[in-house]
Amino acid sequence: AEGDTSDDELPDDTDDLEDEAAITAWKNRELARLKRDREEREAADKDKEETERRRQLTDAEIVAENARLGLRKVKKKGQMR
Amino acid sequence: DLSSGINAEYMGGFRPRAMANRTDVHARNVHGTNPQYLIEKILRTKIHESNYWKEHCFALNAESIIEKAMDLDAVGGAYGGHLKPTKFMCLVLKMLQIQPEKDIVIEFIKNYDLKYLRILGAFYLRLVGNAMDIYQYLEPLYNDYRKIRRRLRDGTYVITHIDELVDEFLTQDHVFEIVLPRISKRRVLETTGQLSPRRSELELLEKLESEEPLLLEDERLLLGENDESS
Repeated sequence: AEGDTSDDELPDDTDDLEDEAAITAWKNRELARLKRDREEREAADKDKEETERRRQLTDAEIVAENARLGLRKVKKKGQMR
Repeated sequence: DLSSGINAEYMGGFRPRAMANRTDVHARNVHGTNPQYLIEKILRTKIHESNYWKEHCFALNAESIIEKAMDLDAVGGAYGGHLKPTKFMCLVLKMLQIQPEKDIVIEFIKNYDLKYLRILGAFYLRLVGNAMDIYQYLEPLYNDYRKIRRRLRDGTYVITHIDELVDEFLTQDHVFEIVLPRISKRRVLETTGQLSPRRSELELLEKLESEEPLLLEDERLLLGENDESS
């Protein structure tokens, strides 16, 4: 209505619900989404397990593990000024 | 005497702009603010200044907006160097302004024949709804693989599909240049037992089509359990 587009610029959006290619494309998208959701869920579960495991450790064990993994290193202060 | 008897008809349809653009007085706040503010000020101003808004959106209500949605030829936010709003985005703002009843919005989404109206309803619900409603009413659209034209920032059109748009609505922070309100991740609502895991139409299809269904581990368990119980 605003006169800035003509119909021939518009890609065709008519649907053929029996179109095998369209159905296959949808199946692939759906499969990719399910895979993504599953991976996210697994990553979240793993994260939770790890948190639980760390909670069971004694302070000494945590210090030892931090040292081994290089976690929580105190950064050396650089030369100020 | 101009102060009495002034109404829209008498004024030939003209009303001061501030009035035409304000939120319905009966509208409730959404996410703690005026619903129109879900669209950022710059884009909102562009919409208020656009011809489509002035000429076609003036007196729309929940019913007449359907006709406008039927005429939509694309979805999208804004395009071009001057951020010209799409008609779709103008109608989104109109929805925020008039705040239709939830039942009506759900009708828009459930409606199968008008696919652009379906997206308008879905996007609106994503903006104003609570997480449970959003998942409940938007996820069925994962099975709708019909084509939708989308207008990109540079003004060009591409073809996308309803299922792809719904996935964006449910998983992205920004869609159509708009910041979506935060909602809980699906799996969080699953852990608290508010939602059961999503069942994809795809798995049901595969199960029907073959003896050795292509299933994910947890979905396999789920289907097995349901078979026993039924």
